[in-house]
Amino acid sequence: MKKWFVKTLPLFIMCLVAVAAILIGSTYFDFISKRIYEDSTGHLEEIYGQLNHTFGNFAERNWGLLKGCGSYFEIADNAPEETVSNYIENEKKYWGFSRFYFISDDRICMSSDGSEESIDLEDSWDILFNENEPVMAGAALSDRQDIIVFAVPTEHGEYNGFGYDALAVSYTNEALASSLRVDAFSGKGKCFVIHGDGKVLLSTQSSDNVFDNYLVYLRSASDIDPDDMNKLLSDCRSGSSGILQCKIGGVDQCILYQPVGIRDYILLSVVPQSIISAGFLSVQKITINVLILIFMLIGISVLALMIMRSHRLSHKNKMELQYRERMFDVLSNSVDDIFIMMDSENHNVDYISPNIERLTGIPIKTASEDIRVLEKCAVISNSSVTKADLEAIPMQGSRSWECEYIHQTTGERRWYMMTIYHMSIQDVKKYIVVLSDRTYDRQLNLKLQEALNAARSANEAKSNFLSNMSHDIRTPMNAIVGFSVLLDKEAENPDKVREYTRKITASSHHLLSLINDVLDMSKIESGKTSLNLDRFSLPELLEELNIILMPQAKAKKQEFKMHIQGAPPEQMIGDKLRLNQIFINLLSNAIKYTPDSGKIEFTVCELPLDTPQYTKLRFVVSDNGIGMSKEFQKHIFASFSREISSVTNKIQGTGLGMAITKSLVDLMGGIIDVKSSPGEGSTFTVELSFALPEAEETDMWFRHRIKRILVADDEEVVCLGIKELMRDTGIEVECVSDGEAAIEAAVEAHNSGNSFNVILLDWKMPKTDGVEAARIIRSRLGTDIPILVLTSYDWGDIEDEARHAGINAFMPKPFFVSTFWQTIKPLFFENTEAKICSVSPQESVMSGMHFLVAEDNELNAEILTEMLAMEGASCELAVNGLEAVSMFQNSKPGYYDMILMDVQMPAMNGYEATGRIRACSHPEAKTIPIVAMTANTFAEDVRNALDSGMNGHLAKPIDMNAVRNTVAHLMEDKNKTADNEGGEDN
Amino acid sequence: MKIKLPVIPLMLAALITLTACGGSADDKNTLTVMGKKTDLNKSYMTTLFERYESTTGNKLKIIAYDDTDFEISAQKDFESGNAPDIFMHFNNADLNRFDVENNFYLLNNEPWVDELTDSADAYCRDSDGDLLGLPFWENSVSGCYYNKTIMDSLGLKPATTQAEFDGLCQVLKDTGYTPICWPANGCSWMMQFGLDPVFADNPELLEKLNKNEITYAEIPEVRAMVQWVSDAAEKGWFGPNYIGIGWNEISPEMSSGNAVMTFIWDTWFYTDMESSNTYTVDDFAVMPVFMNTADKGTYEGGNLNMMMLNKNSKKLEEAKQFLAFCASEENYNAAFDGISTVKCFDGQTTNIQSKMVTDAKASIEENERVSTASSRIVGYSGDDVTAAFEEMFRKKTDVDGCIKMMDQYRIEEAKKQGAEGF
Repeated sequence: MKKWFVKTLPLFIMCLVAVAAILIGSTYFDFISKRIYEDSTGHLEEIYGQLNHTFGNFAERNWGLLKGCGSYFEIADNAPEETVSNYIENEKKYWGFSRFYFISDDRICMSSDGSEESIDLEDSWDILFNENEPVMAGAALSDRQDIIVFAVPTEHGEYNGFGYDALAVSYTNEALASSLRVDAFSGKGKCFVIHGDGKVLLSTQSSDNVFDNYLVYLRSASDIDPDDMNKLLSDCRSGSSGILQCKIGGVDQCILYQPVGIRDYILLSVVPQSIISAGFLSVQKITINVLILIFMLIGISVLALMIMRSHRLSHKNKMELQYRERMFDVLSNSVDDIFIMMDSENHNVDYISPNIERLTGIPIKTASEDIRVLEKCAVISNSSVTKADLEAIPMQGSRSWECEYIHQTTGERRWYMMTIYHMSIQDVKKYIVVLSDRTYDRQLNLKLQEALNAARSANEAKSNFLSNMSHDIRTPMNAIVGFSVLLDKEAENPDKVREYTRKITASSHHLLSLINDVLDMSKIESGKTSLNLDRFSLPELLEELNIILMPQAKAKKQEFKMHIQGAPPEQMIGDKLRLNQIFINLLSNAIKYTPDSGKIEFTVCELPLDTPQYTKLRFVVSDNGIGMSKEFQKHIFASFSREISSVTNKIQGTGLGMAITKSLVDLMGGIIDVKSSPGEGSTFTVELSFALPEAEETDMWFRHRIKRILVADDEEVVCLGIKELMRDTGIEVECVSDGEAAIEAAVEAHNSGNSFNVILLDWKMPKTDGVEAARIIRSRLGTDIPILVLTSYDWGDIEDEARHAGINAFMPKPFFVSTFWQTIKPLFFENTEAKICSVSPQESVMSGMHFLVAEDNELNAEILTEMLAMEGASCELAVNGLEAVSMFQNSKPGYYDMILMDVQMPAMNGYEATGRIRACSHPEAKTIPIVAMTANTFAEDVRNALDSGMNGHLAKPIDMNAVRNTVAHLMEDKNKTADNEGGEDN
Repeated sequence: MKIKLPVIPLMLAALITLTACGGSADDKNTLTVMGKKTDLNKSYMTTLFERYESTTGNKLKIIAYDDTDFEISAQKDFESGNAPDIFMHFNNADLNRFDVENNFYLLNNEPWVDELTDSADAYCRDSDGDLLGLPFWENSVSGCYYNKTIMDSLGLKPATTQAEFDGLCQVLKDTGYTPICWPANGCSWMMQFGLDPVFADNPELLEKLNKNEITYAEIPEVRAMVQWVSDAAEKGWFGPNYIGIGWNEISPEMSSGNAVMTFIWDTWFYTDMESSNTYTVDDFAVMPVFMNTADKGTYEGGNLNMMMLNKNSKKLEEAKQFLAFCASEENYNAAFDGISTVKCFDGQTTNIQSKMVTDAKASIEENERVSTASSRIVGYSGDDVTAAFEEMFRKKTDVDGCIKMMDQYRIEEAKKQGAEGF
C-alpha cells in the first residue's frame, strides 16, 4: 500500500497542479475576456456612435444644402437654366449625390436633367409636404436601383417650367457609403441604417446591399432566441439602443443598434465576435503562447533531464549489457558450450554465443540467419530436434538430447548434449538452447573403452599365452620328467637308458626351442630386437640351411631341393643369423607339415633393382604338404597360431615360429607372403633387399691356372646354372649329362693335352653315378685332376666310399662360385687333402685342452666340466668374474688354452671380467680366446660379448657340437695368429 | 439556342409529314419551305402553315430534314440549285455555310419590320445591320431567375450589381441555401450568358475572334468570367454536388427550394419545371445574370428561328407575301395563341407573357443583350465549352487551362467548318 502511495504520489501532485493551473487560467481568461469584451463593445459603441453622428450630420448637411439651393433658386429666380444647372453640377461634385430632383407637391419628381422619374417616398411624402419637415427616405428606381433620398420642402418655385415645392438629392447606396467612409474593423463589420421595421435604407458596403429588411434576415438566419428578437424589434421600433450577441451563418456576431436621431432610423452594426474579441484573443493568444512557451521550456528542461537521465541509465544499462555480453562472449568462448536464445513462435535467433563457429564450423552469421543450419550438420539427418519436440517442452521446463554433428570446417564428428529450456522473458516466450560439447568426454570414454578392450584382449592374450605356454612347456617337461623317472628305474638296462636318454634329449631340445622362440618373440614384440648387419655369403647361408634341414627331410624321405635362378650376388650385407632363423623356420615348417616322401623346394632368385649398391632377392619355400585353409592364412603370422587338424595336432610346435619370421622380415624391411590350399601344399615368398659389399678381385682363377672345368649332371638346369655363374670368371665350362659322358670327355681332353683343371660330378646320375665315374677317371687319368662331387644330399654316408674312389671334395648344391673357389682353393694352394668337411663329431678338437670356466651355477659348472671331460679336455672353475680374472692373471702363459665365461655372475659379470683380462698385463691377455657361455642368446648379446673383447658366443644350454665348432675355429685362428707372429719373429 | 428536350418528344408525337401535301400541290401556287423537321413540326408552325394554305389557297411544300442531317442536306440543296423559296434557320454561325450574301433576300424594307420588337429585330440582323429574316419563333428571356419567396423570407432583395450579387450569394450560402443551381453536367448555356456582354458590347472583339486574330485567352473579360465561375464553385455557391447536376436536376433543385437562383429562361418554368413541388413559377422572379462580365448584369434575348427568302427564287414575290402573311397581327396571334413566349411582335397579345419578365421589364430592357456567343462566335459549341469547364470543375485543369481548351475546341470546330482565317 505504502509502495503504491509512493509510486502514485508524483502523479497525484502533477494532476493537482494541472487542475489548479487550469482553474487559475480559466478564471484569468474569463476575467480578461470580460474586461476586453467590455472594452471592445465600448469601443464599438464609440465607433458606431461617431458613425451615427456623422450620418446625422451628413443628413443635416444635405438638408442644409437643399435649403441653400432653395434659397439660391429663390434668389436666382428667372436665372438662366444653364446657370442653375451649373450650380447643381458644382454641388453634385462637392457632395457626391447622384441626382438632384425638383418635386412637386403632387409627388412628381423631375431630375435636374429635365426627365421625370417615379420616386416613391411612401410615408415621407406626408412629412415632407404636410409637416414641412425634411425627410430622408429610401426609394427604388424603375430599374430597381435603390437610392437614398434627402428632401426638404421649399417655397414653391419653378424650374424649367416645372413647378416644385420641394428639393431633393439622391444617393446610390454605394455613393453614400463612400461618402460616409465607414470602414471600421477592417471592413469586416457590417453597418446598416434601417427603418424601425427593419427595412434597409443604407448598407455601408455595396456587397451588403442585398438586404431588403435586415430584421427579417436576422429572424430567419440568426440564432437569436424569440425573446431577444422581440426585444430587438421593439427597440428598433421605439428607437432604443442595445447590443446583443448571436450566430449568423455559423459565425458569432455582435449586433449593436442605436437610433440615428432622424425619425425612427436605427444604425445597426454587425461585427464578428472574433473582431471584437481580437484584443482578448490576442492577449489570450499571447498569454497562452507565453504559458505554452514557459511550459514548453519547463517541459523541455524536464524532458531533457529525463532524456539525460534516461540516456545515462540507458548508457549504463547498455554498458552493463555490453559488459555482460562481452563477459558472456569471453566465457562462452572459453567453454565448449554453445548458447542460443530464440523466439518460440518463429524460431528467430536472438542470440548465439560466438563459439559456435569454433565448435561447429558454422559461421555465427549463418546460424543467426537460420538456426536450422544445425540440422544439416547432424550426422544422422533425422536425428535433430523437431518442432513437435520443442512444443512438447512445458513452460519453465527443459529437455535434453544427445546430438552428433559434423564440424563443418574440420569434418570431425563432435558430440553434444543439447538442453532446451522453455521460458518466458518479459512475457515473450523464448527457447534457450545449450549445446554442451561432450566430444572430449565421448572420446575419453571411447579411449577408455578401447583401453578396456585392449586390456581385456591383452589379458585374454596373456591367458591364452599362459595357457599355450603351459601346454607347450608342460608337454616336453612331462616327457623329460617322465623319462627321467623311467631312466632311474631302468638304469641297468642300456637299451632303455639310450632310448629314454634320446627322448629326454629330444624333449629338452624342443623345450629349449620353445623357450628360445618365446624369448625371441618377447624381444621382438618389445622392440628390443636389432639386426647385426655384417657381410655374409649367400652360398654359406644356403649351405648351412642345407646342412641343418637336409637331415630332417631325409628322415621323412622327402625330396629337398635348393635352386638358384639367375646369378644373384654371393656376398652381401645382412644379418645372417636372423636370415637363418627365417628360412629354418619356413623350411622346417615345410618339412614338418609335408608328409613323408613329399617335396620341398627352396628357390632363390634376384629381382631387378635399379640401385647398383643393393640387390633384392626373392626366396621361395614351397612344398606339397598339407597346406592351410584360407581362414588360417589370415592369422598365420599371429603368435601361437597353429591350425587345428588331425595332422597338425600330432606335430610339435610353439606356434611362434611364423610370428617371429614375420617380425624378422618386417624388421629387415622385407615382405613375406603365403599362398596355400589345404591338401595342395604351401608356398611362402620372402623378398628382401641387401646392401652389396665392395667387389673382390676376379682374376684369382687365372693366377692359379684354372681355365677349363667339366661338369656332369643329369639336370640340364644345373649345368646351365653353373655355366651362367662361371661366365664372369672366364673359365670354360663343359657340361655333360651323365657319368659315362664325363669319363669320355675327361679322357679325351686329357689325351688331347687340354685337360680339365677341375671335374665336377653329380652324385646321382643315371647309369654311372658320380662316385663310380670318379673312380673310372682316377683309374684312367691318375690323381692330378681334382674331382668334386656335387650333391644335394648329406654325403656322410658315402664319404668314405667317395674318398676311396678318388673324390677330392664334396660340393653342396646349389652351386656357388665362391663355394667352388673355397672348395678347390686348398686343393691348389696347400696341395693337401682337403679338410672342407665339417668337423667330425667323432673327433674332438678340444682333446687335451685346458679351460678356465667362469660359472657361478654349480650345476651348470658340473655339466660343463663333465662334457669337457668327455671331450678329453680339462678345466678349472671360477665362481664369478672377479675370481676368473684373478685366476687368469695368476696363471702362467699357456696354462689355459681358452676361457669359457658366463656373463651373469655375482661380484663381477663376464663382460667386465673380459675387459679386465684384456686389460691386464698377462702375456696372453690379448690373445687368449674368451668365449661367452651364457643364457643371454640374443643378437645384441652376441654383439655385446664381442664388443667386450670376447671372441665368440655360445648359448646355454650347452650344445657340444657348437662348442666343438667354435673351439675349432678359435683355435685355428689362434694358431694362425701364433704362426704369423712366429713368422714375423723369424 | 435553347435546349428544350422535354418538349421535343411531345412535338414529335404530333408530327405530320407535310411533305406529302406539298408534293401534290400545283407548282405555281406552291412555295417550298425548308427547315429542320423538329422546328417545322412546332405547333405554332403547323398552325401557321395550315392557316396560310386555308386562307390563301396556296400550297406549301415542306422540306423537313432530320436535325442531324439538316445543315449538310440543306447546304447541298443550295449548292445544287435546289434551294427552297423559304428557308428556316437560326441567325447563328452555321448560317454562314449558306452564302448569305448571294442566297438570301434582305428584308430591311418590308412593311412589317416595324412590328418587330427591338430584341427580335436586333436578333435577325447581320453584322451590317441588314435584316435577314422574319423571326417566327417562341421567344424567351434568359436571366438569373430566383426564388423570390425565399429571398423575401430572408429579407433579401435582388442584386443590381456584380458586388451585390456576390454578396447575395455569400449571404444565401451562409444561411444554408445553395445560392446558384449550376448544372455543370452537360448543360451548355450557362457560359454563353456570361460571354454575351463581352462580345455584344465589344463587336470588334467578336470580329477579331472570328477572324482568328485573337483568342479567348487574350480577352481579359473572358478570363474574368472563367475565374468568377471557378471562384464561385470554390466558395460553394453552386452547392456541394454541382458537378453531378444536369438538365434533369434543375427542376427538383429549384422547385424544392434547395437552390435559390439559376440561370435559365422564363419559358423553362412553364415547360420543364415540375409543379408538384414546394415552389411554383409564382415564387420566382428574375434579375440579371452576373458572371463578372457586366457590372449590372445581363439578360439574353431569345434565339429565334427566322424565315429567310431565297433571293434567287422565281417565287420571291410570293414568298414575300407569305412573310407578310406571317407578320400580320391576326395570323401571328392565331399561331401563338396560348404559347408561353416573349413576344417578337409588338402587337402580339395571345401569347402567355410570364409575370417574372413583366415585373423585370425595366431591368430587362436596360440589360438585355442579343444572344451573341452561341450564335455569332465561329466554331462556338456549348458542349465544347461545357467540356472545358467540366475539366476545370474536376480539378484536371485550372482557369488558364480551361480557357486554352475553349480556344482549342473553338478553333478546331472553325477549321472543320472551313471558316475563313482558321
